[in-house]
Amino acid sequence: MRNLFLLGALCLLTMVLHAQTPTRFTLQGRAVDTLNNALPSSTVMLLSPKDSSMVNFGRTDDKGAFTFKNLRAGSYILKVTFVGYIPYNALIKNGDEAVLDLGGLKLKPITKELMEVVVRTAKAPLTIKGDTIEYNAASFKVPPGSTVEDLLRKLPGVQIDQDGNIRAQGQAVNKVTVDGKQFFGSDPKLATKNLQADAITKVQVFNDKTEQAKLTGVDDGKKEKTVNLQLKEEFKKGGFGKLTAGGGPASNNVSARYDVRGNYNKFDSKRQLSAVLLGNNTNQGGLSWNDYQDFRGSNSFNWNDDADFGFSGSGRYISFGDDNESLSIPISGGDNRGFTRNLAGGVNYNYDTKKTKLSSSYFFNQTRQDLFTLREQERFLPGSTLATTDTSTQMNQNANHRVSLRFEKQLDTMQTLIVISNGRLGIGNNNLTSLQRINQSITGGPQQLYSTSNTFNGTQANQFALANTALYRLKFKKKGRSFAASATYQITKNDADLRLQSVNQFFQATTVSDMFRNLNQDQNTDLLSNQYKGSLLYVEPFAKKFYWETFYNFSLRFDEVDRGVFNLNDSRRRVDTLSLYYKNTYTYNRLGSSVRYSFKGLNLSAGLAGQSFVLDGQYSRERSQELTPIRRTYNALIPNVGLNYDLKNNKYLYGGYSVGVQIPASRDLQPVRTITNPLFVTVGNPNLLPGLNKEVQLGFYYFNPGSFINFSSSVNSTWYDNQIVYGQSVDTQTLITTTSPENISGGRSTGTYLNFGFPLKKTKATLNLNGQFSAGRNFTPIRQTRQVGGVTEIVNDVLNDTKNQNISGGARLELTPKEWLTFYGNANVNITNAQYSVNTAQNQTIYTYTYRGDLNLKFPKDIYLNTTLNYRSYINDRLGFRQQVPILNTSLYHIIGKAKRAEVRLSAYDLLNRNVFVSQYAGQNYSQTESIQTLARYFLLSFTYNMRGVTAKMRRQDFY
Amino acid sequence: MYRLLIGLLLLSLPSLVMAQKTEGVVEFRRITHWSKIYTRMTYLSQEQKDRIMLRSKNWEEDNKGEKMKLLFTPTQSLYTYSGDASESEDAGYSWRQSELIMTRNFEKERQTDIMEMLGRVYVVDDSLRTPTWKIGNQIKEVAGYICMKAETTDPIKNQTITAWFAQDIPVSAGPERVSGLPGLILELDLNDGDVEIVAQSVTLRPVTAEELKLPKTKGKKITDADYNAMVKKKIAESVAAHENPYWSIRY
Repeated sequence: MRNLFLLGALCLLTMVLHAQTPTRFTLQGRAVDTLNNALPSSTVMLLSPKDSSMVNFGRTDDKGAFTFKNLRAGSYILKVTFVGYIPYNALIKNGDEAVLDLGGLKLKPITKELMEVVVRTAKAPLTIKGDTIEYNAASFKVPPGSTVEDLLRKLPGVQIDQDGNIRAQGQAVNKVTVDGKQFFGSDPKLATKNLQADAITKVQVFNDKTEQAKLTGVDDGKKEKTVNLQLKEEFKKGGFGKLTAGGGPASNNVSARYDVRGNYNKFDSKRQLSAVLLGNNTNQGGLSWNDYQDFRGSNSFNWNDDADFGFSGSGRYISFGDDNESLSIPISGGDNRGFTRNLAGGVNYNYDTKKTKLSSSYFFNQTRQDLFTLREQERFLPGSTLATTDTSTQMNQNANHRVSLRFEKQLDTMQTLIVISNGRLGIGNNNLTSLQRINQSITGGPQQLYSTSNTFNGTQANQFALANTALYRLKFKKKGRSFAASATYQITKNDADLRLQSVNQFFQATTVSDMFRNLNQDQNTDLLSNQYKGSLLYVEPFAKKFYWETFYNFSLRFDEVDRGVFNLNDSRRRVDTLSLYYKNTYTYNRLGSSVRYSFKGLNLSAGLAGQSFVLDGQYSRERSQELTPIRRTYNALIPNVGLNYDLKNNKYLYGGYSVGVQIPASRDLQPVRTITNPLFVTVGNPNLLPGLNKEVQLGFYYFNPGSFINFSSSVNSTWYDNQIVYGQSVDTQTLITTTSPENISGGRSTGTYLNFGFPLKKTKATLNLNGQFSAGRNFTPIRQTRQVGGVTEIVNDVLNDTKNQNISGGARLELTPKEWLTFYGNANVNITNAQYSVNTAQNQTIYTYTYRGDLNLKFPKDIYLNTTLNYRSYINDRLGFRQQVPILNTSLYHIIGKAKRAEVRLSAYDLLNRNVFVSQYAGQNYSQTESIQTLARYFLLSFTYNMRGVTAKMRRQDFY
Repeated sequence: MYRLLIGLLLLSLPSLVMAQKTEGVVEFRRITHWSKIYTRMTYLSQEQKDRIMLRSKNWEEDNKGEKMKLLFTPTQSLYTYSGDASESEDAGYSWRQSELIMTRNFEKERQTDIMEMLGRVYVVDDSLRTPTWKIGNQIKEVAGYICMKAETTDPIKNQTITAWFAQDIPVSAGPERVSGLPGLILELDLNDGDVEIVAQSVTLRPVTAEELKLPKTKGKKITDADYNAMVKKKIAESVAAHENPYWSIRY
């Protein structure tokens, strides 16, 4: 700053030196109004004529006089200003005289109307150019659709008569120009009657020379009153779009590949219309986060839309175990399993003004996924191990239409109303063919084949869901006091039809009829669910730093389910043991209150809620039969503590204690057997209670922006009360497992997390280290049963206690040494250890190693190369499982043209042709590995056109 | 030259006459338009900038900014947060404000700023520095005062600074690190609307020496040149690292 100033001063000095007289002089004068009255305390400034930078300033005394002594010779702009007067400007140049007296300098007043209406009321800046005063038309509010004439009527000093003739400051306006140019002939009314007011940004009223004078160049002294209208620069208006199309040849036993995606977005300051369309068979998924933001625009993210009020900062208050798909637009980064074909598209329209915000969208997506899976599982029972091999072929095809509407209106400065409506219509089609083989080995003995199952599941489902929410928020004059109310109506209709065909063999059976059991069933399930919810929230501040919050939630849900299972081998006879009709009413009430302390970064809250859950149900084997009632009541007191502390120098501490309530899923409560896999049957439990999980967490975060060092760590622990776990009953003869939910307390899990990142060389190399440790304990009830004369007899009942430890560590290296070279590498190790109380000999450790390198190179002529190598290794020595998956991807691309709007790209995916999806698990009373055949090597040549320009992705930039 | 100007300034300031209009407190609202600042980031593509602009449009409209205050006398000024600046608009949640107190002493020609940045507290202490102002031809009203427009540039952050100063409050003070105009600055616009600091009210009242006193703060003492060098380095580093430097230094 100082240097600049000196430089400026130096310039000034040189300029002055080059001026004619190298002496100093005194400048004096008097500021007066048009009647020669003194204007005391006027501001007097001396500016450099070159760039109007201020050289000196002062104030006039009570006689309006000012003096600048000891001024360097040269020229200056003298500016005298006084509130309410047009600033006086004059170029001053001193001659030989030592004192330059300018005498009385007359300041003309700005008309009172201009001052009051324009400056004070409309808050529009006045620009003074000589004696022209212009102001911002945008400051004068006229209704949308108004013409310039309507606007001019509002302007001070302008009158418009019935015929549309304009008079400004008492004089007739003969000329109206637009951006300084005549508008369609000389009739000034043409412009004012035809132009829309909102196209105008500035109105200038001034005296122009007559056309005659302009033509001849001889100033005839006559002046015409002229109004000039300046058009708005269409600043916030535009459109952009992007199209990528790629294709690749059939090879490697897969058909030709394609990947096409495009979007277009048109917007102005209020409206936004966007469309998106994509299709691919490259496992690249649907909408990415970036696509989603471009599609939804200003409505991408809305806070405060949660209608279920509760303890502040702690998510949803109630969770039903529903497996329905979400109503909101799905964002998928790509499913790396199997072979996937995606088609998606939609239209979104937003209209936003300061008071009203409207957003609407339609979105369609269709996914077809083919999975060829090999799953190997070992399940540990007292004294024996069951080894299941499952080979399956699965086709999932799902299509969804989604409609969303969101309307937000600021009723006044205190009240806001939000109405949200989201709907989904889904059609699903799933086919699964699987071959299962179950072997048993008794305490380390040889494996013996017990049963096989050849099963086909064909599901067709139609779903309809709609959720409507109205949310009202009220603020009060007292800061911090607020009230909110919400109402929600939700309807879900689900009609599913499952065709089950199964051939099962039980090799240890003693009779032929027990040995072969075939199923050929039609399972129809019709579900209708209506839910009504209401919530209230009131916040009262007290003692300056405290807030007292009270909330109430109410929910009433009616479920009606009709499940009919028909035996197709027995002329569609209804199988009563598998069929069920039920009507459930869930009533949920919660009243809670908490006190929060909030001051200078320390936010601490503590509260308590009482909640009651009532299930009133009726069921029977068939709709027409008499219904048996079931009733469950569950009351609980739920405490909540939250801490958020913003410490000095970018350190943050957070923590809390919360209790979550897990309401049993509807199907888990019904006393009915569900068979989709004949070797693995599920039965509901009407005695099931909601589960409680109590969680404590504490975390710390630190970031040093100077050294780019960051550190974070956290600890959390969860205890489960009445945890819903699925107990297993295994028939010792058939090895058919029946699972049923039940409540068990005592499970827990604890985890710690640590991350440390620091630059090896600032802006060039960064290393990030992280470590995690977690341990848990969970229970699985295991019962071995035997059929004795048609009665099930329990021969063994144990509670398996599994202890799990997981440790993982990783390092991430980011190298950005040059603009043309970047490298990202990471290495991760994950070790899981499981100990089973039911069979300690089966205790095992599984390892997963991941290494990844990502290299970006920029070559001359806008050519770029990206290569990634992703190497994963899965090891479970106990199961004798070892699988290495190295994936090498490379793409070479060229950005075309001066405007850089197009790109051509050649990509090769999985060059080594080794892709397979692997997962492994050890927990509960089993361990499992799963391999899914997945799209391997393919090539793609693609072309992109982006109206906003294509930018090479040399850097990873997930967050900005 | 510089000293001379100040001398002239003091000579011609009829401060005694205007005593009633030269002391008081200005309440400001400082609004940072982050999506506009992002459009200045050279490392972002046009596509990314447009995305930020569109998705944050409604948040920008709701941006109520932070409250700041400026205490001023003819010879001194102090600028810092105002009261409950560290609370969310609808209250109930508060965060910690980083240390920020900026003082000017026009008599002793000193400026002392306590600023927390880059993870530590600094005391920037130096002789008074005022930029070269260009005086414009516009007037408008800010908080009931008719103000004139003046412009300058910050060569370190490469920003244009537009100030609106009151014609009839003859005090050279201003918000942030800006001062040196013939009248009190009531509005400041950094880089064409990236950050707007607008006076909400001006209360003329005697300001005590106690109010203008800097609180005792532990911090590293640096000069204005050190501060500028640090800011310049941080901006260069952040842009190289593809990060927004203004998350950790004041815009």
